This record gives sequence, C-alpha cells and structure tokens, in this order.
Amino acid sequence: MRKEYGATTALNGLDLRIHAGEAVAVMGPSGCGKSTLLNMIAGLDRPTAGTIQVDGQDLDGLDETGLALFRRRHIGMIFQFFNLIDDLPALDNVALPAQLVGASARQARRRALELLDELGIAARKDAYPATLSGGERQRVAVARALMNRPALLLADEPTGALDSRSGEQVMDLLIDLNQIGQTLLIVTHDPHLATRCASRLVELADGRIARQSTLEGAG
Amino acid sequence: MSAVWRAARAAVRRRRLQTVITALVVLSGTITTMLALGLLDAATAPFDRAFDQQNGAHAVAVFDTAKVSRQQLAATRDRPGVEAASGPFDQALITFPRTTDIPEAEGPLKIAGRAELTDPVDRIRPLQGRWATAPGEIVLNLRDAGAPPRPGALGSRLQAPGLPPLTVVGFASSMSQSADAWVTPQQAAALRPGSMQMLYRFTGHDTEQEVRAALEAATAGLPAGALTVAQSHLALRHAYASSADAYLLFMTLFSALSLLVAVLIVANVVSGAVVSGSRHIGVLKAVGFTPNQVVVVYLTMVSVPAVAGSVLGALLGSVLAGPVLRAAFQGVENGAADVGISPWVPVAAPAGILVLVLLAALVPALRAHRLPAARAISAGSASARGRALAAQRWLGGSWLPRPVSLGLGQPLARPGRTMMTLAAIVLGVTTVTLTTGLTSTMLAFAEAEQSSASRVVVRAGQPAFQQTAPTLSDERIEALLRSLPGAGTVTAQVFVEVHLAGHAQRSDINFQRGGPSTLAPQVVQGRWVEGPGEIVAPPPFLTQRGLTVGDQVTLQLNGQQARATIVGQLMNGDVRFLWSSWQTLAMLAPQTSADHYEVQLTPDADPEAYARAVKAADPGLYPFVAVPDSLTTTTVVGLASVFTTLIIVVAALGVFNTVLLNTRERRRDLGMLKSIGMTPRQVTTMTVTSMAALGLAGAFIGIPCGIAAHRLLVDNVGIVVFPEFMKDVWQPPQLALLAAAGVAIAVLGALIPARAAARLTIATVLHNE
Repeated sequence: MRKEYGATTALNGLDLRIHAGEAVAVMGPSGCGKSTLLNMIAGLDRPTAGTIQVDGQDLDGLDETGLALFRRRHIGMIFQFFNLIDDLPALDNVALPAQLVGASARQARRRALELLDELGIAARKDAYPATLSGGERQRVAVARALMNRPALLLADEPTGALDSRSGEQVMDLLIDLNQIGQTLLIVTHDPHLATRCASRLVELADGRIARQSTLEGAG
Repeated sequence: MSAVWRAARAAVRRRRLQTVITALVVLSGTITTMLALGLLDAATAPFDRAFDQQNGAHAVAVFDTAKVSRQQLAATRDRPGVEAASGPFDQALITFPRTTDIPEAEGPLKIAGRAELTDPVDRIRPLQGRWATAPGEIVLNLRDAGAPPRPGALGSRLQAPGLPPLTVVGFASSMSQSADAWVTPQQAAALRPGSMQMLYRFTGHDTEQEVRAALEAATAGLPAGALTVAQSHLALRHAYASSADAYLLFMTLFSALSLLVAVLIVANVVSGAVVSGSRHIGVLKAVGFTPNQVVVVYLTMVSVPAVAGSVLGALLGSVLAGPVLRAAFQGVENGAADVGISPWVPVAAPAGILVLVLLAALVPALRAHRLPAARAISAGSASARGRALAAQRWLGGSWLPRPVSLGLGQPLARPGRTMMTLAAIVLGVTTVTLTTGLTSTMLAFAEAEQSSASRVVVRAGQPAFQQTAPTLSDERIEALLRSLPGAGTVTAQVFVEVHLAGHAQRSDINFQRGGPSTLAPQVVQGRWVEGPGEIVAPPPFLTQRGLTVGDQVTLQLNGQQARATIVGQLMNGDVRFLWSSWQTLAMLAPQTSADHYEVQLTPDADPEAYARAVKAADPGLYPFVAVPDSLTTTTVVGLASVFTTLIIVVAALGVFNTVLLNTRERRRDLGMLKSIGMTPRQVTTMTVTSMAALGLAGAFIGIPCGIAAHRLLVDNVGIVVFPEFMKDVWQPPQLALLAAAGVAIAVLGALIPARAAARLTIATVLHNE
C-alpha cells in the first residue's frame, strides 16, 4: 500500500497482514506513517495505491457511505484524547454506535450498560465526560468502540493522555479483550504498552515496515 | 508593517469563508437599511426640502374684498408672530370652458395677481416658459414638476365668457399651492376678483394649533368675516404624504423588520467570528500581544470585510433606491419636490452598520481581553456541562433516529447564538407571512376591481381636442349603447370640477345617471348614492379633510351651490374624486351633458366587438375597453417582494453562519461520529435537523406575528379600506406552507455547511487535540 500527500510519501509499499484474534502494536518515530496506516485500515482515508481488506471486506470499491457502514460493522476505534461528546452522559456516548445502526434507544442503552458494567464503570453511567477522570473517559471510549462487536479494534495512543495508573488499567482492559478473542491494532510510542498488550510488534520507518517481531504475549 | 496589522491580516486570510459571510451580511444589511431609511425619509423629506427652498407659506389666507381693505391686510405683515408675509394679492375664481387639452387649465381656477415670483413668502419655481409680465398672460401651476406639461401647451389661449383671453406663457410650481394660476396684478384686477390672499410665515408653525393661533393673532382686529378660507402648510404636507401614506405604514413595518433582521444577523455573525477565534486570542496573548492589541487585532479583522461590505452595500443601495422610490411614489403629486434618496442616507446607513459591527465585535473582544491566555486557548474545547443536558438526555432516549435527536439537541449547546438565530428566523417568517397575506389581500383587491373588467367606456368626441363630435344627443347616445348587442347596464357620466366650500383642494365629482354603478359593490361603509344631495367618497378624501360618512359638505359651481351628504365610503380611490347622482348635478348645472358612458357587458359579450359596433354606429363616439388599474397592487407586491427577498437572504446567511460556526466548533464530535459509522447523509440530516428545529420554532412564533402585522397594516392603509373578506386570507394549507417557509429558510441556510460537515476530513481532527 502507498499513500502520498502531495510530494510527501506517508506509506511506501507497506504490506501487513493481521490475523483474527491477534494483538499487533505499531511503533515508530513521528512521521513514519503509523497514524496514516490506522486511518487507511479504518477507512478514514484512502490509499494512493494498493488494497485493504478487513474481515473479508475490500475497502477499495466503497464510497463514503459504504466506508461509514463498514466502520459501523467492523471497526471500533479508541483515541488518545477519547473523543467523547461532551453534551452526552457516559451511557449515551456508549450507546451511540448501536443507535446509528438502528437499535432502539432502550436496546442500545441496555447493551451500553452491560459494557460499562464489564469495564467496571457502570456506576458512572450518568456522569458527563467533563466529570470523569482520564482513565474513566478512556474506558467509556473503549465501551463505545466495542458496542457493535467490531472485528477489529484500532487504538491510537490509547494511554498517551493518561497518568501511569490509569494507563495500566487501560492496558489491562485491552489485554482482557484480546484474551477473549478481540483483534487489536495498537499504534503507540510507548514500548511498555506494546510489549504488555501485543503479541506482535511492527516497527515502521519512512512509510515502510522496518522490522517485525513476535512478543512474549499479552499480559 | 505592525505586528497588530500583520496578525489581523493573517486572521482574515485564515478565515476566508467567514470573512466573505461577514462581508455579505454587512452588504445585505446595508442595502436593506438604506432602502428602509430611504423610503421612510422620502415619505416627507422631498416636500419639506422643496417647501423650504420656496420659503413656503405656513398659511395661505383668503379674505373677502368687500369686508377688508388692501391697507388693512398689508398691516398684518407686522403683527406679532408673523415672520414674513407676501400679499395682499387679488384672487379670482374663474371657470374656463374646456377648449384646451391642458389638465392644469380644467375646472374653476384660483387665479392670483402677482408681479413677480420672488416674493418673500412662496417663491414660485418657474418650470417652463416665463413669468406673466403683461396683461393677457397667464402662468399655470404645475402640480407635479416631474411630469412635464403637454407639448404645445405654451401659447394656448384660455377664454372665459365675458373676460379677455389669456395666453399661457409659462408653467411654475408653488409648494404652498397658493393658486392654480398667476397673472399680473393689473390683469387680476380686470378679472373682477372677489377676494385677496395673504401668504404668511409664522414663528410658531409646527402644529395646527400653532398655525391657527398665529393666524388669529395676525388677523386680529380685521372686520368680522373678512377671513374666508385659510390653508395650513401642515394640511398640504399631509396631502403630499397621503399618497405615500398608502405605503407609509407598509414601508415602516417592512423597514423596521429589515433593520431588525440586519442588526441581529450582523451582531450574530460578528460576535460569532470573535468568539470562534478565542483560541487564537489566547495564542496571541501567549506570544506577547497586550490585551489591547488583541482587541485591536479582532476589531481590525472584522472591520476589513465590514468596510468592504458596507461601502459596496451603499453603492448598490444607491442604485436600487432610485427604482424602488420611483415605484413607491408613482402617481404622487410632488409639486416641485424631487423624490430621491437624501444625501444623508448613503452615509448614515453604512456608518450605522459599521458602528453596529464594531459594537458587536467589541463585546466578545473585551471579554477575550479579560480572559487569561490559558483559558482563552482552551475556550474552543470547553465542555458544555450544565447546558440543557436534561433535554439532550431525553432526546437520546426518544424514538427518534439518533442523527435527528442529536441534531435537535445541538441548538441547546449554544443558547445565546441559538436565540439570535431564532430571532432572525422569526423575523424572516414574520416577513414572509406578512408578504403572503398582503399579496393575498392585494390580489383579492385587484380581483374585486377586475370584477368590472368587462367594461367598455365610451367617450363623446370633443372638437376642441381635434375629435369628431357625436351626431347623437346625450340621451340618444345612452339609448344607442343600451341597444347594441352585449350591453348589460349603461351609466352616463360626467366629471365636473367643483369647489368644496372651506377646502382649498379642488375636487372632481363624477355625476352618474342610469346605472347601477360598477362602483356600488365597492362601498365598504354606508351605501351608494340614491338621490339628490348625496355623495360617495374614497378613504383618502375623507381622511385628508377630516370627514366621515354622514357629514355634509357644500358644493359650489358657477355661482350655484348645493348641500350634499356623504352617504358612503368606497374601498379606495383618488383623493380628488367623488361620486354623486345626476339629480345633484341638476342642482348645480342642469344643462350639463354626459361626456362619457360606462357600459358593463353581459358575461358572454366580446368587449372589442362591442367597441367596434359603437364606433360604427356613430364615429363621434370613442369607445375603449377598460383595463383595471393595478398600480397599487403592483407597487405593494413589488416592494414587499424586494424586502422579503432581502430579509430572507440576510436570515439565510445568518443561519448559514451559525451552522458554519457550530460545525467548526463540533469538528471533533463530527469526526468521532463519522469514525463510529455515521454516514455522510446522517451527518447532513443531523446538521440540517438542528436548524430545521429552529426553523419550526421560528415558524410557530413568526406566523402569529406576521398575521398580526398583516392585520395592523390592512386596517390602517390610508387610501384603501379593505372589506373583511379581503383581510381574512389565512387558510390552514396556507399556514402550513408558511410553517414550511420557516423550515425552508433554516434548511436553505444550513444545507451548504451541513454538506461540508458531511465531507469533513476526520483523520486529522481525531488524532490531534
């Protein structure tokens, strides 16, 4: 896969395969193409050349609506800065993806409550993002990402904005998810996060895979 | 280049779209304000200007020569309260037979003897030809200086029975309307004048009471009954504005609405521009800009498009004002007044809008001035905690599709901005409602006039106008017209100019026989004339003279006079025209023949064929198919459309701006929603819904306001009294359409930024804070 932004080449002949149930960490210096890779896989951006397949779905032929529907069904995303909607309480933030698919508010809230319960923050379901700690916000974001049972969970620096204790909690959560079969792709600068949560490490440099290595395994 | 200017220029470049919107809103606001102020100003200003230029008379007083001497009148010049005076001038009332085609010479003419036109009071403005300098010469008063006299009118001869002929040597205009014509004093003496006139300017002249008191003081000590008639300048001013009055309330209402919308939207757009730049303000402070420099940067940033918009708006407004004013004042007797936009309007409108822009920008800029840099930097991502969260939550649990419920909740996040936008939509819907109602009323009005559309008016030829005289007598013409195929009813009529005792303005009475009159169904108060001594009047005649149905007036014609009762008021009509019966004419001038006949045809008749048959029967008859006059309808509907378009454009721009600002502020949320699978269509739905909800709310408030404004307007138009069925124009489908108009204004304004939001590139937004 290649991705060019004008004269700049972000990804240059990258070829990566992630297996179902695998946890892969992508690392590399700033500007090496980590976030671009994540955007391509999530269908947020399109490659200049090459193809992307997720869960048997070829993204090449999809228009914007098709990509949105693809994300709904196959992708969950968590971000460094959580990206929660400030006006909605935690429960409604989590319920959103299911409601976009067409679930009723009641069904979506029930499923959201289950997820919040599983992630240990059901007690904070009515709290608004501004009143949650960083760790709680990221848990809410994880719950939202899992709402539609995605095939692939993409995490962009998921602990980057958290203190070490909250970061550890999120790492534990990602490990638990992977252990129950959730496929993970984590983009990070943090070697600790990569080694704790991933079973394979992909290192990028100048838009290419510089090195791949198998890690000891999650946990 | 200073750092402040550099930062302001960079801010303008970075916000190109917002800069363009600010410029467009200011431009539309300036045009709207100019037209509004121009119309309001034009309703009175041209009269005042021309009146002042002529040193017009605050009172034209007419005295009986049998009771007062020239010396006694001359002495009144020095009475207390008299600032200046002209006169005494001899005055004669002469009726010339119709021998010319000059409208100014028709009917009884009030002729004054004046040696020159530069007397201290009422300096007459010469328009064509020259002033009368020798006996046998006459100068006619041209009531509308904008409409030139007919070609060949100069040199025409006017000949009254028993008097020497008078040659028209000039046309002039007196804003004081002191006379219909002027001759030399020697010539006036030969016309056997029965009265003399004095033209006064008083130190106190602002109210009728002041004018009356000043006149009483000036004429105190004169023999009783010497003063026969006095005409106040305020009555003239009112008479001038009366045609404009037809539109004045309408103009005031539209102007006020336009101004309000312009003010609200300009304030909304400008303050929004500053608020959305608060993060930039923080950065500027962080790099060392003083709070005052930051304020200057933001005021400069807003001033650049505002100055461009207001200057361009003033230019476009000046171009547009001409045709709009001409349309509004079509048919008004202007005298020497030039209807045009006053010089202060193109200066005041853009200046006022610029001041408003600066004030609107100053309030949030001063707030930013006080903000610590760190808080200003984080202001763009401030949490909406506490703002109508309960409503958001309720919406989240509702059965509505999530994009719709999210959209409905969005306006609650920024209540201040939402209220400003809502106010603009309310005013937009009010205007659309008012215009729709007004159009319906005016169309019903036009239809009522057109109900008499199958009419043929037949004029008897007049040799004086190089026409063939009819071979048939008056009665036989009437009989002929009744006998021709297609004839329904035939009314024989004649217009006779009659003097109303105690009133300075002339009146034309249409005396009718046969009938019934086609105007009878247009009587909205009282009834149509049924016998002698009865007249029917239009609304402006009654309002200008302070008369009502049931009042009596004295009609004077050729030394005869008759009392007449006003028995009915028509829906509308010209201020000069009255209607009466042939029996009344018989009391004043029994030998008068009808000069035209109005034939109402049967429904299946062909008016053209009827007209041909009339011409074939007597070549001295001049038939023409009557076409209803729709000038008022066209003017009102046209002006309403101009203002409505402007208001809708400004309101839609306001909505556009609000959505744009909201979209910018919610970029992160939009990116997140797209990342979890919200489709572009859902993003558009959500964004448009947020404004459509405001549109609907605007419709619910705006429609009743528009209906109330419509009622206020149609109940108070000076020259037309609308019957109830013309005012009751609101039907449920129409109201539903109006509600749709509110939503349409909002949706139109929201659509482009909504689609831009749907196309938002989200990758960058989501990965960086």
